[in-house]
Amino acid sequence: MNNKTQREVLRIEGLVKQYPGVRALKGVDLSFNSGEVHGLIGENGAGKSTLIKILAGIVKADEGIFRFDGEQAAITSSKDASRHGLCFIHQELNLVNYFNAMENIFLGHSYPHRFGPLVDWKQLKAQAQEILDTLGIELPLDIPVLHLSAVQRAMVAIARAFAVKGSIYFMDEPATALTDIEKEKLFAVVQNLKEQGKTVVYVTHNLEDILRITDRVTIMRDGQVVKRSATREMTKDSLISAMIDKSLDSAFPQRSGTIGKPLLEVKGLANSRLDGISFTVRSGEILGIGGLVGSGRTELLETLFGVRSLSSGSILLEGKPYHPNSPKEAIEQGVVLVPEERRKGGLVLSRSIYENITLMSLSEVSRFGFLNHQELHQRAEDAGKRVHLKASQYTHHVATLSGGNQQKVVFAKTVMRTPKVLMLDEPSKGVDVGARFEIYSIIRELASKGAAILVVSSDFNEVLGLADRILFIKDGSLASVQNNTGIDQEQYLHYCYGRTHA
Amino acid sequence: MNTNKKTLISGIIKTWGTLLGFLLLLTVFSVLRPDVFPTGRNLKNIIEQVATLAIVASGVTVVMITGDFDLSVGAIASLVGVVAALLMKSGMGTFASILIAMALGTGAGLLNGLLIAYGGLSAFVGTLATMTAYGGVALLISKGTTIFALPENFRVLGQGSMGFLPISVLIMALTVLAVALLLEQTTYGRRLYAIGGNEEASFLSGIRTRQVRLIAFGVSGFFASLGGIVLTSRLFSAHPQAGSPFMLNAAAAVFLGMTAFREGEANIWGTLLGVFIIGVMGNGLNILGINTYVQSILTGAIIIFAVLLSSLAKKRQR
Repeated sequence: MNNKTQREVLRIEGLVKQYPGVRALKGVDLSFNSGEVHGLIGENGAGKSTLIKILAGIVKADEGIFRFDGEQAAITSSKDASRHGLCFIHQELNLVNYFNAMENIFLGHSYPHRFGPLVDWKQLKAQAQEILDTLGIELPLDIPVLHLSAVQRAMVAIARAFAVKGSIYFMDEPATALTDIEKEKLFAVVQNLKEQGKTVVYVTHNLEDILRITDRVTIMRDGQVVKRSATREMTKDSLISAMIDKSLDSAFPQRSGTIGKPLLEVKGLANSRLDGISFTVRSGEILGIGGLVGSGRTELLETLFGVRSLSSGSILLEGKPYHPNSPKEAIEQGVVLVPEERRKGGLVLSRSIYENITLMSLSEVSRFGFLNHQELHQRAEDAGKRVHLKASQYTHHVATLSGGNQQKVVFAKTVMRTPKVLMLDEPSKGVDVGARFEIYSIIRELASKGAAILVVSSDFNEVLGLADRILFIKDGSLASVQNNTGIDQEQYLHYCYGRTHA
Repeated sequence: MNTNKKTLISGIIKTWGTLLGFLLLLTVFSVLRPDVFPTGRNLKNIIEQVATLAIVASGVTVVMITGDFDLSVGAIASLVGVVAALLMKSGMGTFASILIAMALGTGAGLLNGLLIAYGGLSAFVGTLATMTAYGGVALLISKGTTIFALPENFRVLGQGSMGFLPISVLIMALTVLAVALLLEQTTYGRRLYAIGGNEEASFLSGIRTRQVRLIAFGVSGFFASLGGIVLTSRLFSAHPQAGSPFMLNAAAAVFLGMTAFREGEANIWGTLLGVFIIGVMGNGLNILGINTYVQSILTGAIIIFAVLLSSLAKKRQR
């Protein structure tokens, strides 16, 4: 577009990073231009995160040269990074919960002052508003971010990156928590930056986003750059094949098994977030739950899992009343949840793989409260095998695994319980393409063995690819239930917005 | 190659640094006072001195694994000692007096747990408040004085011995073993560590997190009571503030222990090491004739140094 004004703002040559036992980067060369949106993709473990951590000054490279506008410079601290105009929007937002949006936006920057040391709050608010205006974001500035929605919190993090005058913006999965409409806003911001001559490096697993907004794309695999290309020359399939070195012909496993008797019957479920929801899931059935972020999808799962209480309505599990008051009661009756954020709700990162897998089943494999280590190890490894977990040692910390394998640990934990009803909240979030297919296969297999499965996902394709039927929720109430036959993405979105037929 | 070597060294410091520091401490005192410090008699003396602290700190370890904190153990130990002494003076049997006093102390621990796990108080604020209140009760019922002239058969717990082995040291060993068993071999121990690592994930995995934390405070109260009884027997008198030093020393021992063997997690063997570091410091500095005020300063400095060293080693390894 404006090729004349483009110049190389950052060049990286021969970047090497060695961790104990792993060579995370094996000599990476990269270059970024001004006024471009540059996609950076690769499976988990390809080296993207290490690359970004090095640029942010969090991790030190073993070898490699950085040239900013042609000048060689070193990055040894986050100060260096920001001095060179590098800004980072991380997957994990790192907001201070009790501060409001304005304070979070300026966190780490100097506040405007008056009367010597006193903070000029008026001025601060004006500056924050200015940033939000240029980004086209609307946010309440005065309440703690704790009370904001996931989307609003993401917006705060984005605004924070713009509070510094940067020249290269690194966005690591910035859109994971966003609905399509909010994503559009984010993309408008990205476009805006590009037009101002800035560089945006966009890291995501979502290939459609890459194809839509980036100008060039760099694909990493196994610590190396395997392909650089203009985005317009790439397709989703060619991106995938470059990333995993083998083209996947079908991204979702075939349906198998038969749908049996009703397992879970929900009638008129209501509480502070839900309003009269009724549906039935049968044995062997995968029920997708569609709706926008914040529509009550997660809350529905939490209510069925005993995390939230219900004010009215009834639930039957295998024809008997089911009213769990805690996850413990739900699990004991065979209803299990794979929570939305595995690092927050799914895993104890400081403990071993083996301890995580067995955490839900300790009482089953113990006598008088004493652990039967041998049997626990045996069962953990069996469960791990069932979900194709790749781990050299089950005694290693679960934090040493890739995102996909961490999610498999969460699945192994639930598989150990042989659940009747398995509820999945964003089951493939932060999981790379190859592992995704394996996770879908596990879900299919559990269904074919007679479990009833509920899937919540912000990824349309995931719901469309997995579900037998889809329940659409809008503002906490049931919008419609559709058989998943021939629904396309556009119709799906219509159903999310509450239309009952497309 | 060079990086590997560095990682290896920092790995060793991280896991064994505190233990090496302890050995260094032993060496220094032995070199400075070879005639007094490294004698069998003095070492036995040290072990007897730290026995009560080890008992109390074992209980505090259980609480601190979940990320909670217990400031009230010193007050509970004092209260239990005073109650047991008063009951014995009132003519009740020694054994029954001990049981009742310990039941009371365990109840005091459970009350902490109730306030913190179910009432939602922060552990720091909750146990600060109960520490003050329990300490007040001990002063009130003892009228602020030391209670002397206890029955002779009460002497055995703190001062008796089975052959070579002092009873107090035996109780310490049994306590440490019991807590080690609880933490490493039971479902309860597994749940404690899981909660310490991620409370939300533990809850969603079907763990009754509040109940587990409540019980941890009960365990802490129980061992604080046991420590209080052994201390009272050792001193052969009950003072309403006799247990006060436990409050900070037990926490210090657990913090020191968190730097050893396991990465930043409270663990029983680390706690035991921490107890011995504190005991050896006190004993060695006494032998060298160093002023007790200076001893406090040095103990504080050692804790800072150990924790700093282990966090630096950790940073390096990233």
